[in-house]
Amino acid sequence: MAATKQNLFGGGRRALYPWLLLAPGLGFYLLMGVGPSLATAYYSLTDATGLRGLPVNWVGFDNYDEFLLKGARGRQNIDVIQRTLVFMFLVTTIQFGVGLLMAVLVNQGGLRGRLIFRTLFFIPVILGAVVQGLMWKLFLRPGGGPMDTVLGWVGLESQFFAGPSAFYWVVLVQIWANAGFTMVVFLAGMQTIPEELNEAASVDGATGWQLFKNVTWPQLTPAVNTNFLLNIIGSLQAWMLFLILTGYSSPSTRVLGYLVFAEGFGQQGSGSFRQGYAAAASMVLFLLVLILGMTANFIVTRRERKYLG
Amino acid sequence: MTMTDPRPLAVVTADDRGAGARRRRRKIVSYSILVAFAIFYIGPILMLVGASFKTLPEFFKDPTGLPESVELENYTEAWSLASFPSYMFNSLVYTVVATTLFVVMSVFVAFPIARGYVRGSGALLTLYVVALFLPPALIPQFQLILNFADLPVVGNLLAIWPEGSEKQGLFNTRTGYIMFFLTNPIGLIILVNYIKSIPRELDESAAVDGCSYPRFVFFILLPLIRPALATVIVIHAIAIWNELILATIFLTGDDKYPITRGLLVFEGVYGSDWPKLAAATIMLMIPMLVLYIFLQRYIISGLTSGAVKG
Repeated sequence: MAATKQNLFGGGRRALYPWLLLAPGLGFYLLMGVGPSLATAYYSLTDATGLRGLPVNWVGFDNYDEFLLKGARGRQNIDVIQRTLVFMFLVTTIQFGVGLLMAVLVNQGGLRGRLIFRTLFFIPVILGAVVQGLMWKLFLRPGGGPMDTVLGWVGLESQFFAGPSAFYWVVLVQIWANAGFTMVVFLAGMQTIPEELNEAASVDGATGWQLFKNVTWPQLTPAVNTNFLLNIIGSLQAWMLFLILTGYSSPSTRVLGYLVFAEGFGQQGSGSFRQGYAAAASMVLFLLVLILGMTANFIVTRRERKYLG
Repeated sequence: MTMTDPRPLAVVTADDRGAGARRRRRKIVSYSILVAFAIFYIGPILMLVGASFKTLPEFFKDPTGLPESVELENYTEAWSLASFPSYMFNSLVYTVVATTLFVVMSVFVAFPIARGYVRGSGALLTLYVVALFLPPALIPQFQLILNFADLPVVGNLLAIWPEGSEKQGLFNTRTGYIMFFLTNPIGLIILVNYIKSIPRELDESAAVDGCSYPRFVFFILLPLIRPALATVIVIHAIAIWNELILATIFLTGDDKYPITRGLLVFEGVYGSDWPKLAAATIMLMIPMLVLYIFLQRYIISGLTSGAVKG
């Protein structure tokens, strides 16, 4: 960003126009977005409740202490953090692979119907978690649902979202819901690869795999990096599908974002309205995003230097 | 791989024939994988549509198979059983009002940032970029909305504003709910990037002709950035339409629920009546599906623009 430019639209009182007109948009962003985000740190050090009129007292690091270290609850919360990380790992890696595979297949010039496939794979992204969730609740219905029937053919059985493997079924739906987005980011990256590169490699007799390994993959570096980062951050913060598919009652499907919601707003049967405690949980989630996001960013920048100089 | 090919011509031709077979094989493999994925993608959608046409006994007898006949009864019944007309109306109001306000305000933020007409425009842009990493803001947002009357200056506005109260602030009000959707960092970044591609000479000549700043933004800039506007409008509208969490936390009155929240209420009551629930779900998704089919180009380019610039 260059230094401040001379505003061409007149001096004097009129020089204030840009600021005056910018103020509402920026104001709402500070009031509803950035401000509350930063204030999470403050609330995590208090005993705030969700009730108006009750005093908000400073409690130092008590919430963190209780959240991470105290008794059975603390141990359960450590499990929740671990589960959030497992969710992130599974979703990031599989979604990355699936999205890349889709993009490569759909990007083949001579392939008929590729636009239809592309449209189809992207549809879940626009539907939102409520529709995604209800759709899969129906599709993975025990007792004669399609997946149930197919599993029955090979002698398997699952309770799906009500059973012990519920967590992994949610992972599946999460990937289904968002792989289309990963695909589209890859496709956008592929469109920036100069055609001459592919042609030159083909003339040299490169096979499909060699072409991918030596041309597409290195040229795709920016898209790879974007997807890597977005997938990590997105899956750490994702929890909506858990709300719709499994609920909060079973501890084996609780992830950090859901915990914040349940503890802070007394939703889904947790019964409490402990917003200070929930804010501390938010900060733990924030630290995970920050640490993993930074690490990913570091790896990605090194890779970029290696490939693109 | 060398550039010179020492092989005689005949060998190259035979090799080409091999390449043809390889290409065919690759096509078959590609289609098989794509179709496998496609089943996975279209399956749940078809199942939903199928279920919405079945009677309840028919569904329990065979949830998976094709419906015996296409009856729209589930749709009409679901529509009248719950407050769907009101939910749908609310969703429309939230989406249209918030998107309009957001776009108008954002253009006036994006333009001076893109041009550097305000001091610290680089820092301002950064303020929007870091949003991706910031902590979840739900708790302070709740405190803000609930205790809105305590805010300096703006708190006093509640006295003259038709909605909201001293006791509950903007909790359970349409105003409070809409305020959450007046910002969208990604949308703003898209606008800034696009405005940068509009030549600065245009500002100069307009200014020389005596065009004022607001006039310029409204009548000259806006038409020029239409593609970016379309993108931002579409992604913002979809986000509002699909929002559930904020509606769950901040709205308690059934009369204010958007359709996402309304659908979950409906699920709570009629959860085992899948045909009706399926019909209701389809009613929620149809507006977005139509929007998507018409504006596919904008949605996809918008969601990826800026993201892949390296």
